[in-house]
Amino acid sequence: MQKFFSSRKLVIVVVCLIVSFGLMSLSVAIRDKRNTPPLVQQFGNDIVGFADRIVAAPMNGIHHGFVSTKNLLNTYQENARLKSKVDQLTQTQVKDQVLTRENKQLKRQLNVGSTLTGYEKINAAVITRTPSTWASQIIINKGQASGIKKNMPVIAGPGLIGTVAEVNKTNSKVVLISNTAENSNRFAIQVLGDNSKVVNGIITSYDSATNRIVMGNITSKAKLSVGNRVTTSGLGGVIPKGIYVGKVSKVAQDDYGLAKKVYIKPAANLNDIEVVSVAVRD
Amino acid sequence: MKRKVPIAIYFVIGQFIAFFLDGSLSQILSGVLFKYPNSMVPYLTVLWLILAAFFGNVKKLHLYTWAAIIGFIFDMYYTGLFGVYVFIFPLVVYLCQMVYQILPPNFMSGFLVYFLGITVLVSLGYMANAFIGETDSSIAQFLVNTLAPTLALNLVLLAIVYFPVETLYRTHRQ
Repeated sequence: MQKFFSSRKLVIVVVCLIVSFGLMSLSVAIRDKRNTPPLVQQFGNDIVGFADRIVAAPMNGIHHGFVSTKNLLNTYQENARLKSKVDQLTQTQVKDQVLTRENKQLKRQLNVGSTLTGYEKINAAVITRTPSTWASQIIINKGQASGIKKNMPVIAGPGLIGTVAEVNKTNSKVVLISNTAENSNRFAIQVLGDNSKVVNGIITSYDSATNRIVMGNITSKAKLSVGNRVTTSGLGGVIPKGIYVGKVSKVAQDDYGLAKKVYIKPAANLNDIEVVSVAVRD
Repeated sequence: MKRKVPIAIYFVIGQFIAFFLDGSLSQILSGVLFKYPNSMVPYLTVLWLILAAFFGNVKKLHLYTWAAIIGFIFDMYYTGLFGVYVFIFPLVVYLCQMVYQILPPNFMSGFLVYFLGITVLVSLGYMANAFIGETDSSIAQFLVNTLAPTLALNLVLLAIVYFPVETLYRTHRQ
């Protein structure tokens, strides 16, 4: 014990602690203020990202095999269920096409250029996930070179899963909405309530015990009920309007009884993401 | 006569494979590992380092330097938060090696020392993340939902990998 706490070691420990806290504060500051990490870090991340693909590719291949087999076993039931939905879907699609065209014509007539709803998609594959409890992050294989910028929203399957947090040249980190950090995930969203009244707000936190997104500080009197759809509102920043987020699963009062708190069940499964699209506002 | 590949080469290559497998496993098995509200995190990187400290020659392998390097890459690539694992990895390797030297060299003591190592690793990681506000989970939540499942997963991984790695180092001792 005496040897362990010799003065030389103590000095080393203290210096390490100071350097550690310094570096942590510095990297948080960089993440909050700058749009891209320093060049050295980008360069390093790109190299590691390339090496990672060599390991990740066979692993993803194996995973794919398992998933395909599982899907094959479920095919019959799924087919029966989906057949009943197909007719409905075609109808909606046709209507959607007509409405889009009409919308475009009307916009042209009114001389309105691009509105909040328009966006392009950049598709990317997931390379890996951060092995950590605290940072719910995935790393995708597109970066600055493909036109991705910080804070762009990321979609997988049916809905929103997170935002781009760090952009390197050829890969970028996506923070999932399940991240509980205080400084992430302030999405502007809106709930289409009963009587088609819209309630605007932001995502304030995430309830990891039940997998629900929480939208807090709602003072609007509009009536919300379970099953109401939630989309992004396009207000403030780079996130376009109309990206599906999820459905209302519970409406509660906040701790002081002054405002409402809405629990939203996310549409996308955050623990099974292979391919994502990054939405770029027009 | 074929010349033997030095153990240091195996060590470094295995180190990087373990590093990438951490991320790949987390991604592929994320439905199982990060099922709400628990989260199990594989630490194959640390497993490989600690097994090297158990069986290999720490000086010849430059183990602490490698621990710091891989910690730095871990910070940069996976978390984007510098100054956390770059210090924690060498510290955990140092602690494990110190304690393992005192104990008789068999699987049970390896198991106990690794238990201790993972506990220190995960706890220090939690403290660092709580310090910068990356997490808001309480200590009780951390113990039940993170530390316990992570320990369980990593001890199972240790049990699987322990004897093959021991054989690898033993055959290269001469």
